[in-house]
Amino acid sequence: MKHLFYFLILLFCLSFTRSFHGQTIYPVNGPGDFRDITYALINGSIISSWDSEPLKGTLLIKMGKILAVGENLDIPKDAVVIDLGGKFLYPAFIDPYSSYGLSQVSKEAPPSNKPQYERSSEKFSYWNEALKPGFQSVSNFSVSGKDASELRKLGFGAVLSLNKDGILRGTAPLVLLSDLHEVQNIILPAAVTAYSFNKGTSQQAYPGSLIGAIALIRQFLYDADWYQKGGSTEYYEALESFSKTNHLPKLFEADNWQNALRVNSIAGEFKLNFVVKGGGNEYQRINEIKKTGFSFILPLNFPAPYDVNDIYDADLIPFSSLKHWELAPGNPAAFANSNIPFAFTLEGLPDKKDFRKNIIKAISYGLPKSEALKALTTTPAEMINAGDQLGKLAQGFFANIVITDGDFFDENSSITETWVNGIRYRSSEIPETDIRGNYTLNIGEENFSLEITGKIDRPQAKITGTGLICKVTLNSEIVSFSIKTAGGDTSFSLSGTINGNGDITGSGKNTFNLPVTWKATKTSGFIPVVKSTTSSPPLQEVIYPFEAYGRKNVSSKPGRLLITNATVWTNEAEGILENIDILLSNGKIEYIGENLLAPANVRVINAQGKHVTPGIIDEHSHIAITGGVNEGTQSSTAEVRISDAINSEDINIYRQLAGGVTIVQQLHGSANQIGGQSSLIKLRWGKTPEEMKFENAPGFIKFALGENVKQSNWGDNVNERYPQTRMGVEQYYYDIFTRAIEYGILKSKGGKNFRIDLDLEIILEILNGKRDITCHSYVQSEINMLMNVADSMGFKVNTFTHILEGYKVADKMKKHGANASAFSDWWGFKFEVYEAIPYNGAIMNKVGLNVAFNSDDAELARRLNLEAAKAVKYGGVSQEEALKFVTLNPAKMLKIDDRVGSIKTGKDADLVIWSDNPLSVSAKVETTIIDGIIYFDRISNDSMSSWIKEERERILKKMADSKNSGELSVKPERKKEIHYHCDTILENYIEESE
Amino acid sequence: MPFLKFLTVLLLFISFPVFSQKPVPALQQSEAILIKGGIAHTGEGTIINNSLIGFTDGIITLIDSTNGNADLSKYSKVIDATGKHIYPGFIATNTIIGLVEIPAVRATRDHSETGNLNPNVRSLIAFNTDSKIIPTTRTNGVLITQATPFGGWISGTSSLMDLDGWNWQDAVNTPDIGIHLFWQNEFSFGGRRGDRDPKLQLQEGYSKFISEIRTLFSDAKAYSQLSEPVYNGRLESMRDLFSGEKILFIHVNYAKDIITSVEFALKADVQKVVIVGGAESYKVLDFLKEKSIPVLVRDIFSLPLTQSDEIDIQFKLPKILSDNGILFGFDMSNESTQARNLPFAAGYTTAYGLTFEEALSAITFNIAKILGVDDKIGSLKVGKEATLFVSSGNALEITGNNVEHAFIKGKTLDLRNEQIELYERYKNKYGIK
Repeated sequence: MKHLFYFLILLFCLSFTRSFHGQTIYPVNGPGDFRDITYALINGSIISSWDSEPLKGTLLIKMGKILAVGENLDIPKDAVVIDLGGKFLYPAFIDPYSSYGLSQVSKEAPPSNKPQYERSSEKFSYWNEALKPGFQSVSNFSVSGKDASELRKLGFGAVLSLNKDGILRGTAPLVLLSDLHEVQNIILPAAVTAYSFNKGTSQQAYPGSLIGAIALIRQFLYDADWYQKGGSTEYYEALESFSKTNHLPKLFEADNWQNALRVNSIAGEFKLNFVVKGGGNEYQRINEIKKTGFSFILPLNFPAPYDVNDIYDADLIPFSSLKHWELAPGNPAAFANSNIPFAFTLEGLPDKKDFRKNIIKAISYGLPKSEALKALTTTPAEMINAGDQLGKLAQGFFANIVITDGDFFDENSSITETWVNGIRYRSSEIPETDIRGNYTLNIGEENFSLEITGKIDRPQAKITGTGLICKVTLNSEIVSFSIKTAGGDTSFSLSGTINGNGDITGSGKNTFNLPVTWKATKTSGFIPVVKSTTSSPPLQEVIYPFEAYGRKNVSSKPGRLLITNATVWTNEAEGILENIDILLSNGKIEYIGENLLAPANVRVINAQGKHVTPGIIDEHSHIAITGGVNEGTQSSTAEVRISDAINSEDINIYRQLAGGVTIVQQLHGSANQIGGQSSLIKLRWGKTPEEMKFENAPGFIKFALGENVKQSNWGDNVNERYPQTRMGVEQYYYDIFTRAIEYGILKSKGGKNFRIDLDLEIILEILNGKRDITCHSYVQSEINMLMNVADSMGFKVNTFTHILEGYKVADKMKKHGANASAFSDWWGFKFEVYEAIPYNGAIMNKVGLNVAFNSDDAELARRLNLEAAKAVKYGGVSQEEALKFVTLNPAKMLKIDDRVGSIKTGKDADLVIWSDNPLSVSAKVETTIIDGIIYFDRISNDSMSSWIKEERERILKKMADSKNSGELSVKPERKKEIHYHCDTILENYIEESE
Repeated sequence: MPFLKFLTVLLLFISFPVFSQKPVPALQQSEAILIKGGIAHTGEGTIINNSLIGFTDGIITLIDSTNGNADLSKYSKVIDATGKHIYPGFIATNTIIGLVEIPAVRATRDHSETGNLNPNVRSLIAFNTDSKIIPTTRTNGVLITQATPFGGWISGTSSLMDLDGWNWQDAVNTPDIGIHLFWQNEFSFGGRRGDRDPKLQLQEGYSKFISEIRTLFSDAKAYSQLSEPVYNGRLESMRDLFSGEKILFIHVNYAKDIITSVEFALKADVQKVVIVGGAESYKVLDFLKEKSIPVLVRDIFSLPLTQSDEIDIQFKLPKILSDNGILFGFDMSNESTQARNLPFAAGYTTAYGLTFEEALSAITFNIAKILGVDDKIGSLKVGKEATLFVSSGNALEITGNNVEHAFIKGKTLDLRNEQIELYERYKNKYGIK
């Protein structure tokens, strides 16, 4: 009975103090070691949140949580009191983009001899191995003492642990960085879901390009919606788990501003919101980034300076790399100035120890300190719906605390300890006691003033008012001083220990090796200070695009321009006119005539003796595309869109402006029968990818035939993808068009069971006359074949491109109504072009086809005017007609001749001024105008090129200075430009994308 | 029988344009030929209006103008070239014409031997005089090519080939003219058009390259001094580098590599060095001038090496070299079907400072000088080989280039080719005039 009484008393007590050992399902080996301790951190300078002023006071911790924070708190009697002596307390940091506790994902997919077209395992999952929405990182999570300790030393208390592999990466847990068991460290087992464009270790061939990755994500999201609404009668594990986790915050690894805008377009289509992992170059288009409305996770991967001692090597550093080196530390400040929420991550930092150094650097580039702290605490916490548990020092929050002996954003201060989940972690390098301060040093009979400063773990001592040199060393609890005069005639070696009030006493030896006793009496301690933000260096301006020949300002309003006295190739019935004036206004050709009176405020270009032509249109281009031009991993990839991968920063845009090119059709490659949707852009150098697009461009798609499609020249190992013969090519076309017809019927019926198929959707557009084909083709048999397929399936092949044997079937093409876009004189590079002849264009033209010459090559495109001249040489086409091969005729086949292609009142002001007859080798472009805006002219080109040289020299000198001041430098690299052709297949589309 | 014979001849005659896809190699010059009244571009920078150009037995015997009083009696065949242009045959250097027919078809590739060190393989051995590319090239005035092996560090020995002949012995103009060293740098780039893996790769073998090349050249030098060496084909082929009878062609583009490679060659006691490529030669002008190193300039129709280079630096480069007194010509490295555009590449530089005559020199006379064969080809000069052609217009202009008569060592070329024949065939089919 008595026992029961005591037991009840005990229960009663327990129920009040609620000091239960938390229940756990793990058995304990032996007696438990549960400690019900309250910690009181007193005399701290508490920065409870990014936006609060330091509070002198006390912080109480119990059971891993913050019990209270305040100025005059009652300290429980049983509390362990820790006197912080004025140190700073910050909420511990959160890295929302870590892979802590997960095994490393091997970067390279293991090599395999043959491409893998179908998925290899997991029968229930989505068809593509790069999409693993059901993957739960938490199941692979294990505590790693070493990594946790490293992160804690940097000030981190919690991280999001992501499996960085694949396009859909599943869920990631939010975990604490204590050394406790996994179960005690997991705050949220599934805090977010993660996305990227990178297929990672997936062995499957699809996607083989950025455009493929985007199409795959879109198709998946359509499928998920369809599945969730009960559209499918089948069971898909991947779609099930997706719908269960779709409510979580979504993280998207974009890694640069261009991809961030691509994420934005997906977000718009599916009404989603993302937290975007940036790459550090977002400052280059911060206004566009702002418009996305996303929150960002930013790396601190500021580039190291290049080693520029060798002038020849230094020459090879790309201009954009030099500029980026100079501007990158301003990236966080650009976000802060634009009020875009952002958090920091350690991801991407080669040496994690640079973490604080780089934040301080970002601050010196204009990032307010409070914003820096916010990016380490509240912003990441809120991004992942943990803003009520992490990121602040407040009651009920996790006791995750960083304690510093000074302002965290001062490089001289140190993190002395980190608390995670209420557990105190002290770095072994940081001494138990801070010996810094002022002392009266008494050695034997003599008294000195001793001053100890420096970092807590690397103190420096000075004896004031004497010529004595003093060195202090710390070894565990032993403090040693070595004191001597410069000449060495007086010396002391002292060692002692610190007592409770901070005094140091001990013994030692004097100059004559005789023992002495000594005492250092502390007169004042070290006082942490908050320094004001250091001034920011003057920021250089961003250029648009961020590449050589980018400009600080890109004009968007066309002024009025008057071109006078020109020889004008109108491409209209008037033919070539002499001594003509052209007035451009609001981006259009307003008036053409003789001796026009210059209106007020009009810029006049005297083109006496010069020739003016419409802008050149390249029907077949692969410039300004990133992340691969070929999806090509299935016979039809109609779902991919080149417009998803426009690269506005490609120097070839500018180089081609200098060749008079104003419009290019960006085509998918020719690796497969049905490639992707084409993109049409005007070469508006400096604008964003979106702004470069030709407004309301008619829809086109790339088809291909022949050796590329059959993989004839891909090596002997590649022989499995269908088709391997021209026979198979025909059969596949019949099959897919038949399926598209069936799809159309299903679509018209509608209902919940109808599944959107992005591939067939586009094929259906062809059948419905809403999308036109540009077909890569060489030999006559295949050209005939496709026209037959088209005739029998009820569609038309709008354009045959390359079409080097078009001359053999020109009559049939005419009957079918096809256009021809050829090379002028390429031949013989593979077997199917062995009978290509340079007279091809002229023959097709004379048979009555609409004929264009194209480039398919970044270099050739710079002189398409001379390609046109070859129609004169080979086959005797008139000069006037020949120029149309690269201007009006491609406009017609692209169905944009209502706007461009000739010089006519009301058409777009896309014009080129040439120094000479454009069909002469001596002609060069003087001015290229698009929408009435001058995008290229010889004079400003020359001044830009001198500016680039000066700018290079300026930055190189700055690099040399920073290297001399001790920054580590890296060797310059020769960077190979990538120029896409029809048959370019990338090994890794992510490495080669921008 | 005579009737049958007549019929056969008649049939042959009638069907001539249809069956003769491949032009017949020309016969030796049998009669003295005079080209009269044309505008002669000598290749050495001068123009002779109303010119007289005579040649006999394959050799130029007369260069004059109609104002002169030369004896024209021996020229039994006279070509009226009034208003037309006459040029020395263009020389396309470092092409693979005759060595590679269709790059994508392995069986037709004979330009790249296995292994890294092949100074002894000789391009003329593989030169296919029946290549379909040859007749399409000479119709634009390119009459001589340097057939060059490609592949590895030292790809082999090149020869100058006339673009006409029954076989390689017949077509060779100057055998074994030089050895080709492809200077490796720390990084290697993927190759040319259509290369499927153009990404930058660290050239792990760079130090191996340097050390093997050094050893090879020092061994070859020692070998050349032995009185009775044990035969070694590789070393034997390099003997002439040290006497100056063979040229060392160094294929290199970057400034730093130009200096490193030229210094290497000169220290190895190579007597004649020619830079092929030299895209950045404008950065090392003083060096090139001091060492008297000529440059066969990378295909004018090439992109700048880096993004921040001047966009037209390749077009301006010839004028820069010219102004600095550096001997240069225009190169067609690794080209075959595109070598016929050599005159237009040359013409293109006239927008960037060269005159048409200077541009012409860069594909004729300068090249002959660089290759050390200016005693026999490269310009219209008495005593030189009669390798020349008549164009109705400026042959460096696309719209002017129209070769009406062409001669290689006096032999009258058949200027048809399969492409022209296909043109005629389909014009007939469609009834086009």
